[in-house]
This record gives sequence, C-alpha cells and structure tokens, in this order.
Amino acid sequence: MALSTHTTSTGWDSVLKACNKVNEHILGFLLPSIHSAPPFFTQQPNPATEAIVIEQWTKLILSYARHRNLFYLRVEDAETGGDWDEVLRNDRINRRLPPAHLSSILAGMVAKNVASYEPAKQTRSVLLYWRLPEEWAEVLHQWASTTGQMNTIMTFYEITDPPVNSPLTNIPLPLLRKAITILAKSNRAQIIAIADGEGVRFFTPAK
Amino acid sequence: MHRRGVGLAAFDRKQTTKRFEELSNSISQSQVTHLNNQLAQFRTALTHFASTHRDKIKSDPSFRHAFQQMCTSIGVDPLAGPRKGGWWAELLGLGDWQYELGVQIVDVCVSTRERNGGLIEMAELIRMVSKLRGVSGGSITEDDIVQSIKTLEPLGAGYQVVDISGRKMVRSVVKELDDDQTTILGLAQEHGGRVVEDMLIQRRQWSRERARTALENMLLRDGLCWLDDQDEECGRAYWVTSAMKWEA
Repeated sequence: MALSTHTTSTGWDSVLKACNKVNEHILGFLLPSIHSAPPFFTQQPNPATEAIVIEQWTKLILSYARHRNLFYLRVEDAETGGDWDEVLRNDRINRRLPPAHLSSILAGMVAKNVASYEPAKQTRSVLLYWRLPEEWAEVLHQWASTTGQMNTIMTFYEITDPPVNSPLTNIPLPLLRKAITILAKSNRAQIIAIADGEGVRFFTPAK
Repeated sequence: MHRRGVGLAAFDRKQTTKRFEELSNSISQSQVTHLNNQLAQFRTALTHFASTHRDKIKSDPSFRHAFQQMCTSIGVDPLAGPRKGGWWAELLGLGDWQYELGVQIVDVCVSTRERNGGLIEMAELIRMVSKLRGVSGGSITEDDIVQSIKTLEPLGAGYQVVDISGRKMVRSVVKELDDDQTTILGLAQEHGGRVVEDMLIQRRQWSRERARTALENMLLRDGLCWLDDQDEECGRAYWVTSAMKWEA
C-alpha cells in the first residue's frame, strides 16, 4: 500500500485505525503492541506500575471478549489451552500470564465493576461485562420491541437461542437475569413463573 | 513621555523616562518630536510585519525560529510587556501559542509519568503533543519544545531537557537522576530497553551488590522500569519504559 506523502500524521492515524478494524474482521483480533513487551506478563512490584499493567490487561481482556463473544474468564484459563490462549500467552516472545497475576487482574476488574464473580462466593471465575448490564438491558428491550415480541410471555431459552441470531444469542443466564432485573426497575419487563422454568414479558411502561 | 503598553525590553522604562527628560533638556523640542515620530513609525512597521506574518510564524517552525532570533538580536522580548502575555503576545498570539504548547507538554508528561517515571524521550513527547494538537496545530519541532520548556522554568516544576547517551529526553520530576541511573538508562537505550545485572557487571565493572541496588531502586523506589521475571537468560530483567515504545 503506497504511503501518500501528503497525509499528515493525524490523517494517517485515522487511516491506520480504519485498516485495523478491517484487519480484525478478516484476519482476526489485533493485539496491542504492549502484548509484545516481555515485562507485560509479570506482576509488577511497584504498585503504581502494576496499576497501569492491570488497566492495560483489563482493556485487552474486555476487547478480546467482545470480539470473540466470550463471557467467562477463569484463573485456570491461564494454564490450560482454550479460547483465551491468543491473549494469555505470547509464544513469539515466550511469555505467559501466570495464574496468580491473572487472579489479581480479575480482582481488579471486579472492583471496577467490569466483571463479577460468577458463581458468587468464589474468586476463580468471572463473568465479563464487555457490555454493562445496563447496556444489555437496553439491547434486550430493543430486540424484544423490534422483533414484535412485546407483551408476550417468552422463555429464557427463546431469548438465548432464537431462530435468528441476535446480540443476545448465547448470553449467559446470570447476565440475562441481571438485564431483566434492571428492566423491571423501570417497568419494562416482568418475570413470570411458567410451567417449565422462567419466563419474562417485555412491555413499554404506561404513561 | 510615558506610553502605556510598549514592551520594548531594550529600554528600561524608568531609565527611559529619565533619559527622555535629560534629552529634552538638552535638545530642542522639534528634535524630540522627530525622535518620537521615528519610534512610532518603527513600532507601526513592526506591528504590520508581525500581523502580516502571524500565520506563518504560527505554522512554520523555521520561520518562527528565524523570527525569534531576530527579536533576540534587536533586543525585543516577544513575551515581555505590562500585560500578562505582553503587547507582542497579544499582537502575534505568540504568547498564547507558547503558553498553549507548554500546557500540552505538561499534560503529556503528567499523563505518562507513571508509565515512564517522569522521563520521556523527546521524539515520543513530540509525537504525543502533535497528536493532542491535531491537524490544525501545525508541526512542532524539538526547538519549539526546548523553547517552551525554558518558559516553564519559572514555574519551578523541574522540567528540563537532559541528554542521555546522545538521546534527548525531557525530565519532569524534581528528582535528579544519579550517575548510576544515568548509566543504566544509557545501557537500556543500547539494548532496546532491557537491562540485567550481568550487563552492568561485565560491561561497567560494577559489583553485583551495586548493580542489584541500583536496578531495584529504579524499579521499586522510582518506578523507572518494569520487571520481567520470565527472562530466559537471567530470570530477572529490568525494562526501561522510556526506551520502549507502545500504544497508549
């Protein structure tokens, strides 16, 4: 790709950003350059430095989860192969994120409310909020509205496994429940007890 | 004759008043009038020059540099004057420009301080300031940064341009770099940021004790480097962030 000599540095920046977005779709996730820095994987003894490391890992984890539609991250993902390998290791520089460091990063994310320990009362597994529960609530209500399913009773299954893929496809039940609870607070949803489990009805609030 | 608002630094105002008084005592009134007219003409010409070339001064670094040199050589301080920015500043908007750049430099240094311990490479600083300014900011040179930092000096914030192994860096913390740290930084720059105890022992003939203490202080006390405890060679390596490059 030829470089235009007339493009200013800022102009080139936005061209690069656009190219990255395209690359992500075609070639896969684009890791930030800090991922190639060996010390990025070590838990830093200087607290100010470690705060930066945790911030960068948080950004990376949420961004990757959004890209791959992943909802859970466990401390053990740092050891076993799987969905998170691309991010938790860098084989080109021979570095891995140790479980202890990942555990500390997860704690940081929970403290910042961009993740929650799921199930509750343990600290080895988190549910990631690459979209906040409040945002999920809006997406959910919007989907119910545009698919003409207002005021009908739906099962949770119909939401997580609809015939046509939606942003809510495969959303974990704990997160779905959180979103519904938020909608209930603004009178836009109601949990209904049904024969074989949980159901919900969406509506627009009465004026 | 006192005129408000003229910032010609070559003339001390009290002295000027006195001199004019003496002068007017010894020469005729018409000659004094003539002198004042000449000064007024000179001032008008300078005003015209400054406003005609204002945009070029703002956008073209080499022209700006030449203009500043001219001001210095004729004894005019573009920032001086009774008002905060000075008459020149108001005319050129130059004081504002300088001030604005100073604020941006401080902004970048403060926001990267935790990452690099208060020491940033000149090239990196220019890059980030340029990003802040966007397209309309015009290009910024090292000279602009150096001049701007000079104006920050009275703030006593400790901003200084330092030279480490031939590379210009900007230091924004009051703490002086000790000699050992300067040596380590120099080594880091030669090796893409990575320093280990053995390097200091073999290449600088330090004792292990001295190497360890210096590196650990940089790491723990000063936050000037990051630790890599998966280093294949030595197990423990120190990475100097100001010699590393990554997206913010």
